[in-house]
Amino acid sequence: MVVTREEVKHLGWLAKLEMSDAELQRYTAQIEEIISYLNMLNTIPLEQVKPIAMKKKFSELRKDAPENFEDAVLGTRYRKDGFVKGPRMV
Amino acid sequence: MPLYTLEAGQVVEGIKNREFSAEEYISQLLGRIEKVEPKVNAFVTLNKEEGLNRARMLDKKIRDGEQSGPLAGVALSIKDNICTKGMKTTCASKMLESYIPAYDATVIKRLMSAGAIIIGKANLDEFAMGSTTEFSRHGPTRNPWDISRVSGGSSGGSAASVAALECTASLGSDTGGSVRCPASFCSVVGLKPTYGLVSRFGLVSYANSLEQIGPVGRTVSDVVSILNVIAGSDENDHTTINSNKPTYSLQERKGFRAGLVMEFTEGADPGVSKMIYNAADTLEKQGCKCEEVSLPSVQYALASYYTIATAEASSNLARYDNIRYGFDMNPEGYEWNSYFAKARSNFGEEAKRRIIVGSYVLSSGYYGKYYLKAHQVRSLLKHEMETLFKRYDVLIGPTMPILPFKIGERIDDPLKMYLVDIDTVVANLTGMPAISVPAGFADGLPVGLQIMADQFAEQTMLDIAYLFEQAAKVQRSPEL
Amino acid sequence: MATTTKIGLEIHCQLTGAKSKLFCRCSSDYRGKAPNANICPICAGLPGTLPLLNQKTVEFAAMITLALGCKFPDDIAFYRKNYFYPDLPKNFQLTQYNAYSITSIGVDGKLEYGNGKDARIRRVQLEEDPGRLVYASGSMDTSVYVLIDYNRAGMPLVEIVTEPDFADPKDVRMFLDKITSIIEHLGVCDTKLEGSVRCDANVSIDGGNKVEIKNISSFADVEKALRYEITRQRTMASREIQVRSETRHWDDARKVTKESRTKEEEQDYRYFPEPDIPMVLLGSEFVSFIRQSMPELPDTRKERFMSKYGLSAHIAQVLIGNKELADFFESTLMIYLSPKEIANWIVTDLMSFVDERQKKEEDKQHLLFAGLKVGPEHIADLARLVDQETINRATAKQILGQIVRTGEMPSALAKKMHASRIDDASVLAQAVQSVFQMEQAAVHDARRNANVANFLLGKVMKITKGTADPKIALEMIQKKLKED
Ligand SMILES: [Mg+2]
Ligand SMILES: [Zn+2]
Repeated sequence: MVVTREEVKHLGWLAKLEMSDAELQRYTAQIEEIISYLNMLNTIPLEQVKPIAMKKKFSELRKDAPENFEDAVLGTRYRKDGFVKGPRMV
Repeated sequence: MPLYTLEAGQVVEGIKNREFSAEEYISQLLGRIEKVEPKVNAFVTLNKEEGLNRARMLDKKIRDGEQSGPLAGVALSIKDNICTKGMKTTCASKMLESYIPAYDATVIKRLMSAGAIIIGKANLDEFAMGSTTEFSRHGPTRNPWDISRVSGGSSGGSAASVAALECTASLGSDTGGSVRCPASFCSVVGLKPTYGLVSRFGLVSYANSLEQIGPVGRTVSDVVSILNVIAGSDENDHTTINSNKPTYSLQERKGFRAGLVMEFTEGADPGVSKMIYNAADTLEKQGCKCEEVSLPSVQYALASYYTIATAEASSNLARYDNIRYGFDMNPEGYEWNSYFAKARSNFGEEAKRRIIVGSYVLSSGYYGKYYLKAHQVRSLLKHEMETLFKRYDVLIGPTMPILPFKIGERIDDPLKMYLVDIDTVVANLTGMPAISVPAGFADGLPVGLQIMADQFAEQTMLDIAYLFEQAAKVQRSPEL
Repeated sequence: MATTTKIGLEIHCQLTGAKSKLFCRCSSDYRGKAPNANICPICAGLPGTLPLLNQKTVEFAAMITLALGCKFPDDIAFYRKNYFYPDLPKNFQLTQYNAYSITSIGVDGKLEYGNGKDARIRRVQLEEDPGRLVYASGSMDTSVYVLIDYNRAGMPLVEIVTEPDFADPKDVRMFLDKITSIIEHLGVCDTKLEGSVRCDANVSIDGGNKVEIKNISSFADVEKALRYEITRQRTMASREIQVRSETRHWDDARKVTKESRTKEEEQDYRYFPEPDIPMVLLGSEFVSFIRQSMPELPDTRKERFMSKYGLSAHIAQVLIGNKELADFFESTLMIYLSPKEIANWIVTDLMSFVDERQKKEEDKQHLLFAGLKVGPEHIADLARLVDQETINRATAKQILGQIVRTGEMPSALAKKMHASRIDDASVLAQAVQSVFQMEQAAVHDARRNANVANFLLGKVMKITKGTADPKIALEMIQKKLKED
């Protein structure tokens, strides 16, 4: 087996995705199939190949000039005194 | 002839010369939408009132003798993953069902200042992840040529709205073929520009290193009109290429050399293959030289594509935790891990699947096995393509290896679904431009001819597309 | 049994010298603003936004890289560090990472500190700060929700990671003082701003498991946190309990390290290069540009103070140890050039007032001389008075003690004091008269040996309890010696 149910469960925890047992079952089978397909990448001799990288010069970077963003940015209605409310941390 | 059948250039001229008003044109278009939209389902959001208002303002401007822009009055649909200030941008996801952007994408700013009218936001696969527009919270977009079939994806709403005469042209986004696939399935023109030609600022990221925003139209001419407005470097996107703003034109040029990619025709359905050989014949009759060529690394293209796309997607979609924006779910009282997991379980199936696959390939110890290898494949492919472009102006082949299939037919088999992207992902992996133009019909269903060119060789690619379009004379719009 | 302690540091400095944030145009001056009033679509992580790397921050990080003796790679890239946390708008942090021949802006450096000690620098990297979490009820444990302020999100940080080259918390303190002085001299970070410098530390003893200490809010607390943690680990070792490899939080109120309450599943950051930021080419041209634009570093300044002004190594070190002090010194020289005299006044006398104030307030949040009504012009004036022998040192010290409170110019004050003494000329004459009566033998000697006059002066000063102006008193003595 390439991918186990436990692995998928752990990936779900890392990615913060809640999955039911049925979903876990289904995803494990599908992801197993997908990863098996992706495994062909390991069969290619690529030692000499350098990945392409986009490059920019230092002079092309953004100049350090502050600007205010005037419009409202945050959409949530769960606010308090300008803060955004989030779930509890413990 | 109804005004909604006109090309973009005709709309602009007609309004400017006061042959008809922008309001008349938009009203007729809205009537058309009302009639066909129930069958097609191309839109997520319609912008009727504001569209009409903008038309009326334009008419006033024209009456006052003011200058109007190069797209003045042209009604466009915009894929619903491109941010429009003050107008919902949902990505066809529950996660953004009520999300209203605080800013306009660069392409939207440019279109608006060229005078275009946004008539609505077009349907797509959730976060642009799919090849059929079936993975949408708003239901599938149907193919205007056969509404029991898929429109292709992920810019299905864009292509279908253009094919069904619900707008004059559209913007889609193309990560692995998402503009060209539905363009092919709906028999319209769809272009993916060279990576870095068009700003991605405001395009909701699916796979950053692969995707570009691209125009969809019923003619090559319309696609050129849109591209001329949106192309060019943007200080808000570091990945745009710093150069003067390019301008493309329609030129009647002949004597091109085209390489017909064997791997693409061999892997296609016989009906599709046949149409592509016919297309090559058409080009030869126009004085082009077509030869079969091979692109051996294509066999690794999909594995490379799905590794990079899912990896980048898994990280891009992390921000949707429903804290800053999203749907209505009070965080109070929840422990944070469980709030995040609960909120994020509202992603659709395909998005979740790709998040997990992407997390897998990036997991500790796997980076070198998948992500890095996938990038090396990109180099390999690019090198092969560059070698071919020394001998050929363009590479041609089918856009899609298959004909539009029935809605629901492949939805339960993700890998089988992924495999249909084989001909399109090459352009995204190499960053090179590609266009799909209608090639004709097989079994009454559209087939698209894909033309790929070297980086920033859009003009050559458009010249051949135009040459082919003029020669092939494919039927433009379906009965609906 | 002797124990070996190994301490490594992770230091975060906010680049407050930059005007805008790391990847967006929001102001870097977020402090004191209303919650979420200093944000934009980019730093709030809205869909469709792209990071726009701030040129200045690369320049600043490069300066730090040079100052810490690190090597530059040919080009730099940013990585995504993927993990979920409510203060992280994108649920990944843009940072740097060393893998697959891509490195952060600085690697493999070394920094000397204290007297001939040194620590190896593993890397210098640029990264973004997260937002700020506030607990509604004041505590994480009892709040039913958390309050989030994204004003800080996207602030540019430079993270400096050392090898575990420290054994003594005192050395760590010295090292941090040196870092502070460097980043102040470079003008990249105002270390006086609350939370602008933070330090995490890792500690292991006798080759045992490594414990990370996080959440130390000021450099001042690092030494305390380390002492606590070392004692804790030694106590465990003496009871033969194995130290667990863990992350502990410094409890600022109770001054202890405590274990993190949430036991998470193993984190996996799934690093990969940020596709929206192209690699940035550095190259030799860039490096020479940085070299040229580098402000003077504290070590160079110290050498200059010694060679140009003839200061002792000790005095020069004290001055450059705090940029404000060194700047004060040089500003004073601009007004009156008497380097040794001025350095002495600043280091020994003026600092004595500062020390008391700092002991009282126990914080370094404001300027050293804040609250003291003294500027370079005062010290310059004071030094001039002493040099010209208008007043003696003892009087000058008295004057300094007053002017730090009043802000009066020393020469003005000296004139007043002088005037009051002239009024008392008859008192001084009386004192001289009585010394002449008591010390007749000495008076006799003094008429032949001028040096003995100083002995008489000492006696006069004694009976006037030091209030006499020695110059006038000596004149009086000499005059009287000639008369009689
Ligand atoms: Mg850090
Ligand atoms: Zn911002």
